[in-house]
Amino acid sequence: MGKSKQKGNHKSDKKKNIAKTWKTKRRTKDLDQIHSDMKPETAAKLLHQDVDYDVTGCAQHYCLHYIFVDMRSLKEHFKSKVHKKRLKQLREEPYTQAEAERAAGMGSYIPPKTIEVKTQPVEESMD
Amino acid sequence: MRIEKCYFCSGPVYPGHGVMFVRNDCKSFRFCRSKCHKNFKKKRNPRKTRWTKAFRKASGKELTVDNSLEFEKRRNIPVKYNRELWDKTVEAMKRVEEIKLKRQARFIMNRLKKGKQLEKEEAINEVKKNIHLIKAPHAGKAKQMEDKMVQKLQEDVDMEDEDN
Repeated sequence: MGKSKQKGNHKSDKKKNIAKTWKTKRRTKDLDQIHSDMKPETAAKLLHQDVDYDVTGCAQHYCLHYIFVDMRSLKEHFKSKVHKKRLKQLREEPYTQAEAERAAGMGSYIPPKTIEVKTQPVEESMD
Repeated sequence: MRIEKCYFCSGPVYPGHGVMFVRNDCKSFRFCRSKCHKNFKKKRNPRKTRWTKAFRKASGKELTVDNSLEFEKRRNIPVKYNRELWDKTVEAMKRVEEIKLKRQARFIMNRLKKGKQLEKEEAINEVKKNIHLIKAPHAGKAKQMEDKMVQKLQEDVDMEDEDN
């Protein structure tokens, strides 16, 4: 696996105003939200959504943190560095307010657990 | 009213200070200052950000497991005012704080000892490596050879004496 493709630093519209990307209205999911999405019941619900014509790809191609147009780009995404990096980040237990309080001297330190995270199985049934 | 702890840096958030962010799933996050809020918005991980308390605890820079850390707690049960209890609590708080500070200081001093030891080892290694700068490689070699010669001659003389 090589380096992910550089997207350009000057002409890219995305980086013209980076402060905008941190605004609350553009906020994307946090790691702890993804963790709660990964629980078996919610994960099953998210991965088998009804056909919704308003959402990208009718909401049929869902990675636990993105929605894709078609099966091909979903599979492409699984091979990408972005996805693998995200899996690595998810391997650690999410940070909580309780941990912040323990760090401030309210209780002893408890090391975070590691969680096994795998790429969701791809279903070939639809084409 | 209570003094909350910052989500990011674990510092105290006094009433009327800082920001609270409520995410669209009703989870609330308190920040002591804009620095912490900004870092949260950039999705930084407090465990990996070097200036937070969470980092210092996670990487073993500070005292992590100790009984003196178990006194301060979020107690959600209201206690009826009692002057005697109040006095005792204040006394206990002072004493616990004193013990805690002492233990923390001792922990850090012990942690720093390792560095001193490594420094010493490094210094010895450096001297060993560059010994030729302190002492010339052939210094005292001629004298050594002479001594050896004298010793050998002496031995030969002794042997001859024994033979006769």
